[in-house]
Amino acid sequence: MKDKLNSLLREGTEKIQAAKTESELDEVKGALIGKQGVLTEIMKEMPKLDAALRPEMGKLVNNVKTLLTEQIASKKEELVLKAGAVPEDFDYTRPGIAPKIGGLHPITQMRYDLDDAFRSMGFEIFQGPEITSEYYAFDNLNFPPNHPARESMDTYWLEGHDSGTASDKLCLRPHLTGDSVRYMQTHKPPFRFVYPGRVYRNETTDARHERAFFQYEALIVDKEFTYTAGKVMIKSILSKVFGKDVPVRMRAGFFPFVEPGFEIDMGCLVCGGKGCSVCKHVGWIEIMPGGTPHPNVLKSAGLDPDEYTGFYVNIGLDRLVMMRYGVDDVRLFHSTDLRFLGQFR
Amino acid sequence: MKLSLNWIKDYVKLPADLDLNRLSYDLTMSTVEVEGAHDLGKDFDGIIVGLIKDVQPHPNADKLRVCSVDIGGEVKEIVCGGSNLEIGQKVVVACPGSFVRWHGEGDLVEIKNAKLRGVPSFGMICASVEIGLADLFPANEEHEIMDVTSLDCAPGTPVADALGLRDIILEIDNKSMTNRPDLWGHYGIARELAALYDLPLEPIEKYIPEDVDKLDIRIADTERCPRYIGARIEGVSVKEAPYEMRMRLWKVGLRPINALVDITNYVMMAVGQPTHAFDSDNILDYIEVRRANEGEKLNLLNDKDLELTSDDLVIADAKEAVALAGVMGGSKDSVLDTTSKVILEVANFESRGIRRTALRYDNRTEASSRYEKAIDPERCDLALSLSMKLFKELYPEMKVTAFNDCYERKLECAEIDVDLDWLDRRLGMRIPKEVVINKLGALGFKVEYSETAMHVTVPTWRSTGDVSIKADIMEEVARMYGYENFQPTPITTSFEGAINQLEIDIIRKVKEYLAFSCNMREIFTYPWMNEEFVKALIPDTSKILTLATPPSAEERFIKSTLLPNICKAIVKNEHNFDEFAIFEESLVFSDEAYTSNYPNEKLPKQERHIGLAFAGSADDFGTLFATAKGYLAEMPSYTHMEGFTFKRCDKPSWADDTAWYNIYIGDEKIGDMGLLSKKTAMACGIKVLTAVLCELNIDAFKPFRSRTNKFVKLPEFPRNEYDLSMLVDSMVKWEDIKECALTAKKSDGCYLIDVDFIDEYTGKQVPEGKKSVTIRLTLGSDEKTLTSAEVEASANIVIKKLSAEKSEKNPYAVAAEIRTK
Repeated sequence: MKDKLNSLLREGTEKIQAAKTESELDEVKGALIGKQGVLTEIMKEMPKLDAALRPEMGKLVNNVKTLLTEQIASKKEELVLKAGAVPEDFDYTRPGIAPKIGGLHPITQMRYDLDDAFRSMGFEIFQGPEITSEYYAFDNLNFPPNHPARESMDTYWLEGHDSGTASDKLCLRPHLTGDSVRYMQTHKPPFRFVYPGRVYRNETTDARHERAFFQYEALIVDKEFTYTAGKVMIKSILSKVFGKDVPVRMRAGFFPFVEPGFEIDMGCLVCGGKGCSVCKHVGWIEIMPGGTPHPNVLKSAGLDPDEYTGFYVNIGLDRLVMMRYGVDDVRLFHSTDLRFLGQFR
Repeated sequence: MKLSLNWIKDYVKLPADLDLNRLSYDLTMSTVEVEGAHDLGKDFDGIIVGLIKDVQPHPNADKLRVCSVDIGGEVKEIVCGGSNLEIGQKVVVACPGSFVRWHGEGDLVEIKNAKLRGVPSFGMICASVEIGLADLFPANEEHEIMDVTSLDCAPGTPVADALGLRDIILEIDNKSMTNRPDLWGHYGIARELAALYDLPLEPIEKYIPEDVDKLDIRIADTERCPRYIGARIEGVSVKEAPYEMRMRLWKVGLRPINALVDITNYVMMAVGQPTHAFDSDNILDYIEVRRANEGEKLNLLNDKDLELTSDDLVIADAKEAVALAGVMGGSKDSVLDTTSKVILEVANFESRGIRRTALRYDNRTEASSRYEKAIDPERCDLALSLSMKLFKELYPEMKVTAFNDCYERKLECAEIDVDLDWLDRRLGMRIPKEVVINKLGALGFKVEYSETAMHVTVPTWRSTGDVSIKADIMEEVARMYGYENFQPTPITTSFEGAINQLEIDIIRKVKEYLAFSCNMREIFTYPWMNEEFVKALIPDTSKILTLATPPSAEERFIKSTLLPNICKAIVKNEHNFDEFAIFEESLVFSDEAYTSNYPNEKLPKQERHIGLAFAGSADDFGTLFATAKGYLAEMPSYTHMEGFTFKRCDKPSWADDTAWYNIYIGDEKIGDMGLLSKKTAMACGIKVLTAVLCELNIDAFKPFRSRTNKFVKLPEFPRNEYDLSMLVDSMVKWEDIKECALTAKKSDGCYLIDVDFIDEYTGKQVPEGKKSVTIRLTLGSDEKTLTSAEVEASANIVIKKLSAEKSEKNPYAVAAEIRTK
């Protein structure tokens, strides 16, 4: 019997270690120490034994049973852990699964970047009507009565509203500046606000010209404000939007709503100002006109131009986005082509 | 506009050591944008004058010859196919390393030592077209090489020196000087440079008219023609202008024609004043400047036949119109080979009329584009003086036989008072009086200082609208002092309170929700709609505003809804994508409800809308509809505004008869959603995909002032989920089932908390006219853990409610046949 127990322990250990799955192990367990198992069979021989040997044999049986039970338990844990592990041939190099995410129009993205930058400097956001009277499109913005922009070649006048006084005539807004007057008429100075939006010009389109384009204007009006503070403002905004320090220069320029007017250039981000094809080898890129609001504009907003001054800029978002991403055709922005729009995140 | 630096130097003696980059930079910063400064001489590097010593036939080619050419100290053999090669001829030799344009076409090609048909050739003898000089040295026939025998120079002289091509051509951005009519010629830019660098500006000697007959000139419209000078000049002829004049014109981009035409072009490029010379033999009796008669005919120099309107200004004789004033001469008065007497016209025309006429006939010219900018009438004197000087130089025997200066409307110089304190505050510093007087003086302004102000008299050439108020004077002072010489100042404005703009912010929140939570793409479309889509989607077009001059006749309708353009976008994309979801946010307009929110205007209704489209395969219409509905239903909670309710009151015309909703906030309808009906889709030309559309009025959104999340205490006792599958009539809606299930009350012993939709199925195992619906009951109590008997009992109560036949007692019953539980 002792031999039988010893061989049970030896063979049992081998079988336990050979088990590959939990169910195999359960079978082995049944065969070894189950009710109909080998150990039970061996114990049946116990009564036949000499009484003196029984206590020792009893101890041995218990020992074998404990050892086998422990081995089974530890084997079982090993098998469970192993079963929970990923097979070694799992291909972790397969492409990941991207979240399904749509996106904002690239111009909206740039607009929101600018909104955030201007908001951080205390600017409000204002949105005005897109159909405007001639009065707000031209008259109170210092366009002389004979300015060419007023003619139908340049502006989309509305049918049935294309004659009469400046208040009667309606058009799709040719620029945003009328909105600044609307804001100033309905708020109290000092002012600090932006007024982004689309504007419309009756033009022949090509890769560089569009009939609808997105502008972004900002205006500060206060009692004391020099143009050099305006330069500081532009620099701060551009540096925030582009994520790095951007050199800015202001040079002579002419626009009807400002006096003095400036062309505002920013250092070319592609070549760092050394000169490249993007900046036509001058190191600077013209990005916006700006200047001090024209006295007539301030007057039309009910302000005394001797008392108030300020600073104004007009950023062409289409151009800025084109430059930033190298988009070569402005018409893509209104194309609704998802192969284009899908590229912007 | 192109400018020759050498030409500018006629009027201002720029220092020899002035750095070109500096000049471009200074002009750009203070006056006009210099887009480029082209070193013309460099184009001719390695291109020299050679003298042909011998010409021999080519041993292997009939059309080629081998020339021995003295290129200055040495004689080289050059193979050439020129038809006019002669011994003793001076020619242009492009040496190895130089660049030419092969037959005047394509890119520049570098010349290399080469063998031509077996004979080595040192570079190339050039035709004028190959070195870009065809306009200046036109060839008489195709294979003619450029003959420079007449040049007084030694062999080996660089062509750039021999031909006076060592010059810098400045490219000025025209846009940057639309407000500066005075800058459209070399003299104007010279004046700016003189002021910038404190140099004297050379005067142009004034012409004093001789005592001659008075030319009969009649100005019928002095508004449109403030001044007209006419001079009859005899003893002239059509001949080639001197090389210097032709070369200058060529450098600034004009083609030399003949001496008479070239003089007028030269004067225009010099002082910016267009002039016109026409054959006086063809003028009957007198010159009249008048409006054209309606329908009057005129044949232009470029052979365009015009039918004029009464808005056009013409130069006419006693019989008919002979020229379109300020735009172009007519064929009748043009200079011919036989011309010996001309009338020189130096006139001033009103800007706007010239622009209208030039645009009306799509005939903008160098002259009209200058007149458009509003030239001052005093400039006629400069142009006349320079013209007369040139006529005398080119035609020493010429005589002015009649003259008249009709100066009907003189221009007043603008006078402006500038308060010095105001100027200092605006500039942030005081600019010394001497600097202001000197700089502005050099620009032609007269400045008189008093204790507290300065009085400025603006020169005529800046008085046509350009400089009229004190801010203009401030600009002149600042730009001449140098914008870069002002110190940066911090922004000092201070504001109270944080910015809180709910109406603005909600738009962005909604768009970001759609883009980043709903996988939708934002599109931009034009503010006009295409007629095809308008017809398909809008039954009543009476309230649609239209454009007076639309991009095309089909696109005259101004957006009254976003859906036509969204459908157009679906058509655009349906061949590239199997499914997509897009949205657009934009104003829409309609010809009603005019309001006056701002003084002096009344504007039509303008609402901000957002339009959505979910496009996919027709089989998936149910999923598309559910997606649209789900995205809309969740929008208010994610963007923190008042919620939407889905009602069925008024089916949108474009929607399918069954699959649609009206969307409400409270009692206000704010939009629609629906499956695009097959009929509408076909009318739109949507061929492949099916789409669910939605349009909402953003202006009606009611954003909350802050986030509105609510906390609900976590349940203390476990919840039980209990799924039920049932067969119901196919017309029974989910909301009917839900409503019915929720009638099971706690008072009945039912622990029902909520009911959710799991699945709906129709198919083989489901009888005709029925559908299988699976729902999930959530059961539970806040006081205890339910026993399985209580769970079972609760479910049975719900089952009983659902199974009942509809009756007066059971108005919500759905007669469900429970299949599994």
